[in-house]
Amino acid sequence: MHGRRRQQEREPTQDELQQAKQRVDRYRTLNSHVMDLKATSVSTNDALDATKRLLEQNTELHTVWNYRRTIFTSLDEWQCQDTRQEMLDGELKFLLGIITKNIKSYWMWNHRMWALSSLPRPEWQRELGLVAKLLALDARNYHGWDYRRFVVAQLKDAATDKHEVDTQEFAFTTEQINHDCANHSAWHNRSKLLPEILAQRDEDGQLEVLQTENDLILNAIYTDPDDQNAWLYYDWLLDIQKSDEDRSRLLRNKIAAIREL
Amino acid sequence: MTMFGTNQLLVDKHVEFIQNLDKKQDGLEYWMTEHLRVSGIYWGLVALFLLDRPQALDHEQIISYVRGCQNADGGFGGHTHHDSHLLYTMSSVQILSMLNALDQIDGKKVTKYVLSLQQTNKQTNGQTIVCGDVWGEHDTRFAFIAMAVLSFFNTQDQLDTNGIVEYIRGAMNYDGGFGSKPGGESHAAQVYTCVAALAVAGRLDVVDRDRLSGWLAERQLLCGGMNGRPQKLEDVCYAWWVGSALDILRRRHWISAEKLVEFVVSAQDEKGGIADRPGDVADVYHTCFGIAGLSLVRYPGLNEVDPVYCMPRSVVRRLGLHKWQDKVPESWSQ
Repeated sequence: MHGRRRQQEREPTQDELQQAKQRVDRYRTLNSHVMDLKATSVSTNDALDATKRLLEQNTELHTVWNYRRTIFTSLDEWQCQDTRQEMLDGELKFLLGIITKNIKSYWMWNHRMWALSSLPRPEWQRELGLVAKLLALDARNYHGWDYRRFVVAQLKDAATDKHEVDTQEFAFTTEQINHDCANHSAWHNRSKLLPEILAQRDEDGQLEVLQTENDLILNAIYTDPDDQNAWLYYDWLLDIQKSDEDRSRLLRNKIAAIREL
Repeated sequence: MTMFGTNQLLVDKHVEFIQNLDKKQDGLEYWMTEHLRVSGIYWGLVALFLLDRPQALDHEQIISYVRGCQNADGGFGGHTHHDSHLLYTMSSVQILSMLNALDQIDGKKVTKYVLSLQQTNKQTNGQTIVCGDVWGEHDTRFAFIAMAVLSFFNTQDQLDTNGIVEYIRGAMNYDGGFGSKPGGESHAAQVYTCVAALAVAGRLDVVDRDRLSGWLAERQLLCGGMNGRPQKLEDVCYAWWVGSALDILRRRHWISAEKLVEFVVSAQDEKGGIADRPGDVADVYHTCFGIAGLSLVRYPGLNEVDPVYCMPRSVVRRLGLHKWQDKVPESWSQ
C-alpha cells in the first residue's frame, strides 16, 4: 500500500495471466486449508507446518498467528520445559528468516514477543543485539524501537543493577546520535532515559550530565539549524530543570547558540 | 473557497475505483488483504459519503457481510471466520452507523467484548491498558477505539476513563506528541488517536496544545504533503492524521490548506483512486484519507468529516456523538 510506483500498463500475455491465476489459486487453496483446520481446532505438527507456509507468504494474517500460538500451546511438547524451549527457539529462527521482508508487521513483532515471553530461558541480551542490527539497517524503524524498549524492560526486570541497564541504553542513544544527530527516534528514547540518569547522580554528577546534553544538542543545532527536534529537546531540557540557576544557565547557552547562528 | 480549482478532484473516477475494488479478484492482492476486508469497506464508504455518493455501493449487501463478521465473543473480525480484534470492531461499528443499521447488532454484546479487553487489574502509575484482542498487545489506538466504540452505544461510562486518560497522558512526549504507548515515539497517527480519545473523554486539558500544534504544523513539507514523523517522507494519509488532530486542537489554520490540496490532488491516479504520493499505485486507504484530509480543509463539493470519528458530520450528529465539541476547552478558538 505504500511506496509502489505506477507502471506503464500493457495487456498481460496469456502466459502471465495463467501464472497469475495459478499464484492466486495456490494461495487461496492454502488459505482455505488453514482456515478449515482452524475451524475444527486441529492441533498437529501438520497444522503448524501449514500455518508456517501461509504466514511466510502473508505475515498480516493475525488470525493465523493466533491459531499457530494455539497449536503450540496444545501440543504435548509444550508441557515440558526443554521441548518448549526447543520449539520456541525454532520459532524465533523462523521469525528471523522473515523479519527483513516484513519489518513493519505488527503481528509478526507481537508473535516474537509472545515467543520470548513464553520461553523458559529467554536470551534478552541476544534480542538486544538483534534489534541493534535491525536499527543499523533502518535507524528510525518504529517497531524496532518499540521492540527495543520491550526488551530493555525485560532486562531491567531481571537485572540486579537496574541503573546499569539504563546507563547502557543511554549510551546506545549517544552512539546513535553521534552517528546521526537527526535520529529523532534516538533523541526520543534518550528523553525517556535522561530523567532516570539524572536521578542516579548527585548534584555534581547532574551538572556533568547536563553539560554533555547541552553539547550534544548544540552539535545537532549547528549541524542543521532547521531541525526542529533539537530546539524542542532544548525546550524540554529547560522545562525539567528543578532549579532556576540550572534553567538560566541553559537558557544563556541557548541564546548564545542562536546569536552564533 | 475559491482558492482551490473545483475541477481537480476526479470524483467520478474515485467512485468508480471504489466500486471496482470487489471486482479485482484475479489479483493476488485482493486475496492477501482479505483479513482487513471490513476496514477496506469502511475506507471506501467514508470516501463515498464525503464525495456525496453514498449509494454507489450496495448497503444491504455490506450490512449482511459485516454482520457475518461478528463472532461469538461479540467482537468483529476483519473477514468472516477471522478472529475478533478492536480494529475491525471499530470499522464494523462505523460502517453500520453510516448505513443506519447499528440497531441490527446487539450493543450490549459489543460493549461486553470491548470491556473484556480493558485490563483494570494491570494498572501501573494509575494507567489502564486496553488490549487490541485477547493476545495482549496494547496501544493508544486501542484506548481510543474502546472509548469511541462504546460511545456509539452510549456505554462509555462503563470504561475506566480516568485510567485510560492516564495511559494516554503517559504516552505524551517531550515534543508534545503522542506515541503508541507510554515510552513510544511521537507519530502523527498516534497523535490523532490520542487527541481524538481525549476529545471523546472530555479531557483535552491533558494536551500541551501549543507544543503539539507546532509539532503537527511542522509535519507539512515544502511540497505541501505531510509526514508522520520528522524527516520521513510525505504521505497522503497524513493529510488526515495531522489535519484531524489540528482540527480538534482548533489550529487548522497552522498549515497551508492550499499547498495540501495541491499535494493530495497530485497524488490522484487519473484512472481513479489516490496514492500515498504522486506517481504511486492508488489504494482505497489513501483514497479515504486523502478525501477526508481534503474535507477537513473544506475542499468544495465534499461533505464535512468529523475529525474525531472520521465519519460524515451528519452521521455523527444523527448519533448524538458530536457532543465532544462541547467539551473542548473554552479558551481554545479556531
